Amino acid sequence: MDFKELTEKFGGKLDAQAKWDDCVVVPREYLHNVVAFLKDDPSCKMDMLVDIAGIDYLTYPNHEGERFAISYAFKSLKHPGLRVRLKVQVGESDLKVPTISDLYANANWYEREVFDQFGIEFTGHPDLRRLLNHVEFVGHPLRKDYPAQKRQWLSTNDYLLPELEKRLETLGYWIVQRSKEVETKDNEFLEGSVKE
Amino acid sequence: MIVRDSNGETLDLMPLNVGPSHPATHGCLRFMAAMDGETIVASVEEIGYLHRGFEKMVERGTWQQVVPYTDRLNYCSAIMNNIAFCRAVESMFGVELPERCKVLRVIVNELSRINDHFVCVAAAFQDLGGTTPFMYAFNPREEIMCIWEKLTGARLTNSYARIGGLSRDAYDGFEQDVLAALDSTEKALKDLHACLDRNRIFLDRTVGIGKISAEKAISYGWTGPCLRACGVAADLRKDEPYYDYETYDWEVVVGTQGDCNDRLQVRLAEIEESVKIVRQALKRLAPGPVDIVDPRIRVPAHKLAYQDMEGLIGRFKSVYEGVRVPEGEFYSGSECANGELGFTIVSDGSGHPYRIKVRPPCLTQFAAFHELVEGGQLADSMAVLSGLNIIAGELDR
Repeated sequence: MDFKELTEKFGGKLDAQAKWDDCVVVPREYLHNVVAFLKDDPSCKMDMLVDIAGIDYLTYPNHEGERFAISYAFKSLKHPGLRVRLKVQVGESDLKVPTISDLYANANWYEREVFDQFGIEFTGHPDLRRLLNHVEFVGHPLRKDYPAQKRQWLSTNDYLLPELEKRLETLGYWIVQRSKEVETKDNEFLEGSVKE
Repeated sequence: MIVRDSNGETLDLMPLNVGPSHPATHGCLRFMAAMDGETIVASVEEIGYLHRGFEKMVERGTWQQVVPYTDRLNYCSAIMNNIAFCRAVESMFGVELPERCKVLRVIVNELSRINDHFVCVAAAFQDLGGTTPFMYAFNPREEIMCIWEKLTGARLTNSYARIGGLSRDAYDGFEQDVLAALDSTEKALKDLHACLDRNRIFLDRTVGIGKISAEKAISYGWTGPCLRACGVAADLRKDEPYYDYETYDWEVVVGTQGDCNDRLQVRLAEIEESVKIVRQALKRLAPGPVDIVDPRIRVPAHKLAYQDMEGLIGRFKSVYEGVRVPEGEFYSGSECANGELGFTIVSDGSGHPYRIKVRPPCLTQFAAFHELVEGGQLADSMAVLSGLNIIAGELDR
């Protein structure tokens, strides 16, 4: 498929950085529409979201444009071999991107990962939490200004009970009585370990 | 916790934490289930217990130094990850590999796939309480491991591929070793099928368990054997062929039900196809160079460094500064044992990667875990988990 239509319809432009595959830079406010279009349009039918990658251009030589970008990779199973990437630019002052987790089920975790590693918020995401890093972690490690050697003290376990209740509610259950949370922080087993 | 369901009935559910360091959770996975007796009513997963910051680490080294890190993604088939990464970078350079390199890569790729699938099926059986198939599967796996030892010097983390070639050529007697390993693979397959196919206990535990529809699997971004078990014939080796995969005679294996049994049977059938591919590739293995000759991409041979100045400079610059990958952004996916392993690469034209994002095949499969286990029994969740072949190394990176 020729992705020119996309560029004309949604005010996007072909990404000059993509020399080996097709990539369209789309304005942030049209992202959801573009993705919905790509998913349903019979000429491309991008039915699988392959990957979402955040990029921080802070130390990129001679970079023009916003500091962050998110690259969405799609592929089509209807037309084997057809792939496209979308890119949205995100400025440091307004770290918000519309979610596409209502269109693709796996966007939920991918967006959580980008939020975790770059601190970019996805508006409308049902459950925006950290995915890979710890619940107590401070900062966003894949930003270029996060020092790779930095260490953090993390003490507690991730509580999953609130998420479990949320999941029960989406399945149509109504919580009458919550179960009690175990406070691992209060236990004495952490004392005497390497806490500074 | 006490809940009321849509019929107004009150249930007393018990939240049960499983993992992260439970032997059946294969490394570091955790999920919390709301249990109604033995039945899982709802489940949520938690990952990140093996998060080592792969993507941050690789930004500090040169392009060649990424290769050993890729070993640690899916450690059951390390060479496949090396090749997938090198293939992505080579496409950015736009170079064509020598014929022998391509054939060798196909052979080690498919042997790794055999290895990976054997581990998955064996571990799945082990989790269900069967120890015999584990031994059947691990005999040929050991032979392949011995080939890895001779070929690369390591059993698990091989780092065999290089950008623009391979770390070394095959050794004398490689073909005979591979043929012997293929023979015992075929024998083990026969034994495994005798154990699996009509085993009442196994079928009761796996047939109809952890079912998922093709539409849902696609929406979750499933790839590889798990997607093919749902009846979708999607394989990058056929759809976007590389290394002349399209010229070999083999079939894409698909399942019908998308349940736990299908996922394991598809893997066993894929081993058969891989054996077919390796046998054909061995016939094509003609003598020739395995590396491309370009000091800007592949470091010059060690003996050249002692013989002439150009070789010395090429080696020095390649090791200290790294290869300079052309500036730009690229996504490349390769068909690995678990599915599509993808790399989104951002290069600023220097010797160090600016950003590499890994697309692990496991992540999408584990993201759908709650859909598979809800409504089933707790014991079934273990059968589902091992059938998905979640490798924590690539899941958490």
